[in-house]
Amino acid sequence: MKEERRYKSGLIPSLNPFGFNIERWSYTVHRATGVILVGYLTAHIFETFQLGAGSAAWANTMAALRSLGPLEMVGLWIVAGSALYHGANGIRLILNEVFGKLMGKPILPVYPYSPTSLGRNQRVAVWTITAVVLLLWAWAGLYLLAGLGVI
Amino acid sequence: MDSVTLKVARTGLTRASYELKYRKGMTVLDALIEVRERQDSTLGYRHSCRMGICGSCGMTIQGVPRLACQTQVSSLNSDTITVEPLHNMTVIRDLVVDIGPFFRLHRSVKPYLIRNDIQERDHSEREYRVLAEEVRRFLQFDYCIMCGLCYAACPTAALDPMYTGPQAITQAYRYMADPRDEGWEQRVDLLDTTHGVWRCHMAGACSFVCPKDVDPAKAIQMARMEILKKRILRKKGKPGSRPVAPSAPGQGKPGTKAPPFDFAEGRTKET
Repeated sequence: MKEERRYKSGLIPSLNPFGFNIERWSYTVHRATGVILVGYLTAHIFETFQLGAGSAAWANTMAALRSLGPLEMVGLWIVAGSALYHGANGIRLILNEVFGKLMGKPILPVYPYSPTSLGRNQRVAVWTITAVVLLLWAWAGLYLLAGLGVI
Repeated sequence: MDSVTLKVARTGLTRASYELKYRKGMTVLDALIEVRERQDSTLGYRHSCRMGICGSCGMTIQGVPRLACQTQVSSLNSDTITVEPLHNMTVIRDLVVDIGPFFRLHRSVKPYLIRNDIQERDHSEREYRVLAEEVRRFLQFDYCIMCGLCYAACPTAALDPMYTGPQAITQAYRYMADPRDEGWEQRVDLLDTTHGVWRCHMAGACSFVCPKDVDPAKAIQMARMEILKKRILRKKGKPGSRPVAPSAPGQGKPGTKAPPFDFAEGRTKET
């Protein structure tokens, strides 16, 4: 199958969860938070690399970061939220994909259909992760932003 | 709701709009048939049984892959309905997509019983007997009608045209879980690849849109676990494995029947 000829395939359609199940939303958020974390880790490696370039280079890097003002902490807050969600949802995915947990067993379909892989256990896991991450993210926000006058 | 407006993605056009009178019980397929019969005979779409069995009328309705014959207009809670071809497939014309590549993926996983003894397979005089409990391990995955909705909904298939796809992996697992099958090694080489079971990211959209509750997401994870057990942990056997040979003389005779299978309960009836 040639990619360019297929109808609405590619990155943007793959990230569109509208109309779908909560796990598909979770997939999109997982991708987005993964990209944020890769961006942060790349920047972090670059930042710490400046230590080896001498004290002047390190001081310049720190000054550049400080010049961002409250945006620096807001950025860190977003990274903290991404790490929390990506980590917690990653554990759910490992349970699903490696251990087959939360998926249910093969059943005989009875109408109205309700796939066990998207059943109560899976939904409880997704919503619990979302709630816990939001709580921890709010706490991280208080910790990171409170002293900056952002909130 | 007195009238309904269909906005159809047509080849060479942005969106063609058709307004028609709403009737109680009207499905999206009914609406499309009415449009073609009374308003625009050039509208292209595919359908056959009109009752959710053939899987021909798969299309993207309000952004979600569905069977047009099973989608009630009233269930969409809107008087404007957008209809597009299935995503991740090549459009032939209007709502008709090329399902050839999708079927080739299905065929690639050898969706049939494989037996090592060809003589016995080709000249078998008796049936293979399977316990009701063993049937339960794969019967759900046997209900696939190959409509392609799971493939159209899959975000991995949208990114990777080489991906085996939820339908094909489910059918591979259906035979991998069958105690009569001896083709595990042949199929696992097709699945244990970067474009096979390991490409799935468990978005669950395939199971969400499946019109027959085949639950491909579950089958993919079960196939993964089997591959992990056999290839990485080196455990022998397959799901519920026991050697199954054609039934011995006398087993197929009247009076020696296996206990009847209760489909409502999903287990052998107690006698």
